[in-house]
Amino acid sequence: MSVSLTINGKPVEIDADPSTPMLWVLRDYLGMTGTKFGCGIAQCGACTIHLDGQPTRSCQLPLEAAHGANITTIEGLSPDSSHPLQKVWIEANVPQCGYCQSGMLMAAAALLKEIPNPTDADIDQYISNICRCGTYTRVRAAIHKAAEMMQA
Amino acid sequence: MNEMLKGNRRQFIVSALAAGGAMVVGPRLALANSEAQVWDKDVAPANGAAEFTPWLTINPDDTVIVRVAAVDIGNGTLTQACSFVMEELGSKWENLIPEYADPNADYKNGGVYSKPGSLLAYFSGRSTNPDRASTYMLAAATAREQLKAAAAQAWGVPANEIVAKDSTLSHQASGKSARFGEMIAAAAQVKLDGDPKLKDPSEWTWLTKQSPGKVQIPKIVNGSAIYGMDVRLPDMVYAALRQSPVHGGKLVSYDADAIKNMPGVLKVVAVKPKANEPTDLKPPFPFGVNPAQEAVAVIAEHYWQARTALDALPVVWDDGPGAQWTSTAKMNQAAFDAVSKPGEKVELSQGTVDDAAWKAATKVVEGTYLTPFCEQAPMEPLNGTALVTKDRVDLWHPSAHTQEAFYVAADEAGVDPKNVYVHQPYVGGSFGRRVFGDDSRMVVAIAKQFPGRPVHVIWSREEATRQGRYRPLMAGYLKAGLGADGMPTVVEGRMSGGPGFYATGMADTAFTLVTPNAQVTSQIVPFHILQGPYRGPGYNSNAFFVETFVDELAHAAGMDPMDYRIKLYSKWADKGWVKTLTEVRDKSGWGKDTLPKGQGRGVAVANWGMGGKPDEGTTVATVAKVEVTKAGDLKILQLDVAFDTGKVFNEDAVRAEMEGGTLFGLNMSLNEGLNINNGQIVEGNFDQYPIIRMADTPANVNVHFGGLTGNARYNEVGEPPAGVIGPAVGNAIFAAIGKRIRQTPFRTQDLTWS
Repeated sequence: MSVSLTINGKPVEIDADPSTPMLWVLRDYLGMTGTKFGCGIAQCGACTIHLDGQPTRSCQLPLEAAHGANITTIEGLSPDSSHPLQKVWIEANVPQCGYCQSGMLMAAAALLKEIPNPTDADIDQYISNICRCGTYTRVRAAIHKAAEMMQA
Repeated sequence: MNEMLKGNRRQFIVSALAAGGAMVVGPRLALANSEAQVWDKDVAPANGAAEFTPWLTINPDDTVIVRVAAVDIGNGTLTQACSFVMEELGSKWENLIPEYADPNADYKNGGVYSKPGSLLAYFSGRSTNPDRASTYMLAAATAREQLKAAAAQAWGVPANEIVAKDSTLSHQASGKSARFGEMIAAAAQVKLDGDPKLKDPSEWTWLTKQSPGKVQIPKIVNGSAIYGMDVRLPDMVYAALRQSPVHGGKLVSYDADAIKNMPGVLKVVAVKPKANEPTDLKPPFPFGVNPAQEAVAVIAEHYWQARTALDALPVVWDDGPGAQWTSTAKMNQAAFDAVSKPGEKVELSQGTVDDAAWKAATKVVEGTYLTPFCEQAPMEPLNGTALVTKDRVDLWHPSAHTQEAFYVAADEAGVDPKNVYVHQPYVGGSFGRRVFGDDSRMVVAIAKQFPGRPVHVIWSREEATRQGRYRPLMAGYLKAGLGADGMPTVVEGRMSGGPGFYATGMADTAFTLVTPNAQVTSQIVPFHILQGPYRGPGYNSNAFFVETFVDELAHAAGMDPMDYRIKLYSKWADKGWVKTLTEVRDKSGWGKDTLPKGQGRGVAVANWGMGGKPDEGTTVATVAKVEVTKAGDLKILQLDVAFDTGKVFNEDAVRAEMEGGTLFGLNMSLNEGLNINNGQIVEGNFDQYPIIRMADTPANVNVHFGGLTGNARYNEVGEPPAGVIGPAVGNAIFAAIGKRIRQTPFRTQDLTWS
């Protein structure tokens, strides 16, 4: 059984069990490994993608629920790492091991789309991803910096 | 040669022009043949000169491959290696490209990569180890001098008038210049008279001056960095595994027929621990630290198929003796009981700890403490990929010690190490979990039963959490007698934990060493739960015991806890203790205001790596300001951290580790603690084993550099901050509400007040 959807602007047909989580569809069936497996129960946010623009934890999104949907992954956040968040992330030396950071970036990008100039409280509320290395203070500062850049 | 590099084994640098026109430079460890050899890791060089191994390869396009043994787990080992080369070579920064040093090449070339740094050469830390620093700098300086000599010859000018900068050689007087890549062919033929002189640290322009960010970040931000989990190979299959729910239990039976027709299922395999046969392999850590546990695994075409089928697989286990540990309370009690009297092993004995010493004290204080089992929980769940054939193993593994993984793979597959290849991808965190190689062993143990196709073995989060190698459950007991000035004159310390627990941090730390009469003992408790290193092994528990106890001594002496520590630790020969305390006192606002009840500041100071000696290791002092509501909710308001590593090569890299290590230790103390039920670990995922998130984190972790003593060392930074934040917060809770917290995690303690 095949499911059709759009990923990073490209139409895709996927032939897999419809209950397969989108996380594993992306990683195993499509070889798009930027979206990470961290917990499998929508706790950590490492697998965050945008589903029709909304930040979504793909480990709990069955393939069948994404039929006809428009999905953006970290690979599609920008064509050339030019999203202000990506630039600031590099400049401010934000990641440590980096494993959680694609999810962190996707959550932050969704936040800035909805609230272009977020307060600390907004960031606390929207960014609930887990980073075991403890980069939170840098992530927070980088989101503020990217917000400034996007408004300039 | 500068002070930092003194005492290093002399290394000879040789170079050659490799295939493809690249110039290779590296230390030569044994001069079996006076001719430089073209080094090829896949072809054994002739004439017994296999010792030649390059650390640097300069390509015709000016790019420079820098070989790195130390795995980067987010701490910047790749970047630091490039920084050492940058200082001496005269390259453009962006031309430096780090690549991991192949342990197979190391094995075939006399251990050339594993000598600088010894057993920890391939370990994911110690990137500023002086052997590593001198190896890179000498290789880079040699290459630079060879390039200059080649240009001097070509241009007919003195070599000392040539400047190497930005990957370009130039001679001002004649106006001549050339790119490095244009001179490598000639430079490779140059023989220098001895090793070039390295820059004095006062001449450095990059080290200690510049703070480059981690070189892999551009790949992280667009998802292209390949972690172990992301390895994709032709014909690859996936495996999901389950190990005995009680550590040490046995696999009795499983019904493979029940799942054989499920989609994608290829095979069900059992893993039995390999017989402990004598071996002539010499791994950095003996194989006793990484045995496989009994397990069953389902191999399928896709991971989700393997996982789904595993969940449906009927399995019968024999729990074994571990099931006697029916509850956390029972284990805690056993640990407490073990410190109710002196332990069997004496860790420290100085002066005389006897009745007379206790009677002479004006006050006697005692306290009993406990820290639970904790899981490292790196964000990348354990995994690895192996392709095993009859006489060769390829392992793609997110290891935190590539050389250990290499030997483990050889041992588990029974293949000659010459035919074992470990491919090191990026690593999604370790914190000690990925060092000993039990995960590498499990991957090979499964893959060897499905030879000929790469098998990617993935632990679920629940499997990884319940099958850990944990920070040991430890109990501590401390008793001290105070003199008339409030300072301890006699101390007895005891600690207990499961077999192999780490004693670091009680007997070999300043507190006990400055006390004239001190006795420290330890006691093993026969727990079955598997243990391993966790960010600052031993230290992360003992710093909590000792620095909570020191706070209790200050209270008993009627002194301010900061003043008390400054007085106490001024007796210790290492000035870094008082300097970090003074710095954090001045920067945190300590003593400058009166806080309302429910708010308080606490301080702690400790050193990781000192091994009982002054001017060793890294000292960290932390002040936490907290608020506790009457309902017992704890909030961290401010964190100030000062440290003494001696000196610092890369300021921002150190700052990042101090921030991260502090938040890691904060979570350890606030949230972490595994429970045991009928021998099994209860917690499986982040819903049960909480990790702090953005909203739980103070806006800033204030990292202060004024504690640095300038001592001639550039000590490590990953582990030290994790030990002091817990006692700092616990001591702040005492200051805020008057309750002394002697056990972690704090979230399970009653912090209510009225």
